[in-house]
Amino acid sequence: MSEVPKNLWKDWRLHALVLGIVLLTEWIGTHEFLVGPGVILLLPMLYAIIIGLALFFTPAVKEKQSKNAEPLIVLGVTLLIAKIGVIIGPSLPQIIEAGPALLLQEFGNLGTIFLALPIAVFLGLKRESIGMTHSVAREPNVGLIMNNYGFNSPEGRGVMAIYIFGTVFGAVFMGLISGFLATITPLHPLSFAMASGIGSGSMMAAASGSLVAAFPSMETEILAFAGASNLLSLSTGLYMSIFIGLPLTEKLYNVLTARRDKKSHIKKGRGA
Amino acid sequence: MMKNLQEWILLLLIFGIVSLLGNWIGYDTFPVGAIPGMVILILVSLVGMILQKLIPIDIPSIAYVAIVGVLISMPWMPGSEQIVAMTNSINLLALTTPILAYAGIAIGRSWTDFVKLGWRTIVVASFVMLGTFLGSALIAEVVLRMQGII
Repeated sequence: MSEVPKNLWKDWRLHALVLGIVLLTEWIGTHEFLVGPGVILLLPMLYAIIIGLALFFTPAVKEKQSKNAEPLIVLGVTLLIAKIGVIIGPSLPQIIEAGPALLLQEFGNLGTIFLALPIAVFLGLKRESIGMTHSVAREPNVGLIMNNYGFNSPEGRGVMAIYIFGTVFGAVFMGLISGFLATITPLHPLSFAMASGIGSGSMMAAASGSLVAAFPSMETEILAFAGASNLLSLSTGLYMSIFIGLPLTEKLYNVLTARRDKKSHIKKGRGA
Repeated sequence: MMKNLQEWILLLLIFGIVSLLGNWIGYDTFPVGAIPGMVILILVSLVGMILQKLIPIDIPSIAYVAIVGVLISMPWMPGSEQIVAMTNSINLLALTTPILAYAGIAIGRSWTDFVKLGWRTIVVASFVMLGTFLGSALIAEVVLRMQGII
């Protein structure tokens, strides 16, 4: 954290704007609406990110505020992790009991490869799709891809694209789908709580926040499991990608593109 | 180090005050009663960040912060009940709203990159997130059921 620029606390314009956003969005409060059998939850944090983004395009926010806001996110996440720590502590006996589920569900993060890679290849994306679908593309994984393939490689462009999407829309997306999926699928809210920990503090908070709003009686368990899973993802995620995720993506990509090339070859053959 | 520490404390205090006010408006907890809980969270953050500086192993500061938080609140620790009671007055969502407000202002600069992404990227990105979420939930469901926890 030594890279924190000095005197950020003096940027009163930034802090006043954030205070204004927080008071407004908390006052609006949580709203939910039904979509078929599921529930979509709109939480104050979702309005907050959208209002913040909108303000960026007004004279109220200058380049300086936008730059200064970045280290504040890191510091805010630190405080959030402290809170998650004291939620996990008292639930430690239950977390140890659920340890096998917590550890094994980390492998579920590979689900992105099986679900998204075929879609990427189907849509005609080339080696970009390896960078795009090998993981959820948070900072450690961007580093891994840049390190293995280089910044200007197709894989590098792919991972950056997903990183940018996740940065801008990750929390909003996770907040919307978690409450919805937990209300329309037969899976237990605690399973989704564990799934919420995908290695990003804000995405975890949005996903588990929606779950808590949908199932308030399970608040402590949901937050403890989500927090523990997120810490686990943060500490194991990179190794998972190095040893399993990325090699698996490469293999599956070769299988999928071999099939695609064969098909297009046959089509061409028929044409001629 | 001292200069950094001073900056961290001031920023955590600003962040804490904003969260306490949000906690009041959104979750009906009067700020004065929630101050001890917020002070504990700020101290946990500071201790974690200082440990990261002092211990010469390359582990991110949030790992230390989490460990300190868990240690002081686990049932075997004397006084943990008071710590849990005090920090319970701070709603988790009251901390996430200001984080995402700062994030919204910060991501404005990524917006031009974002609009260049194209529809295929957005489709794939949605399935990337859906894939990890559903994959983990399915495995968790199976194992939790096998253990008889749910």
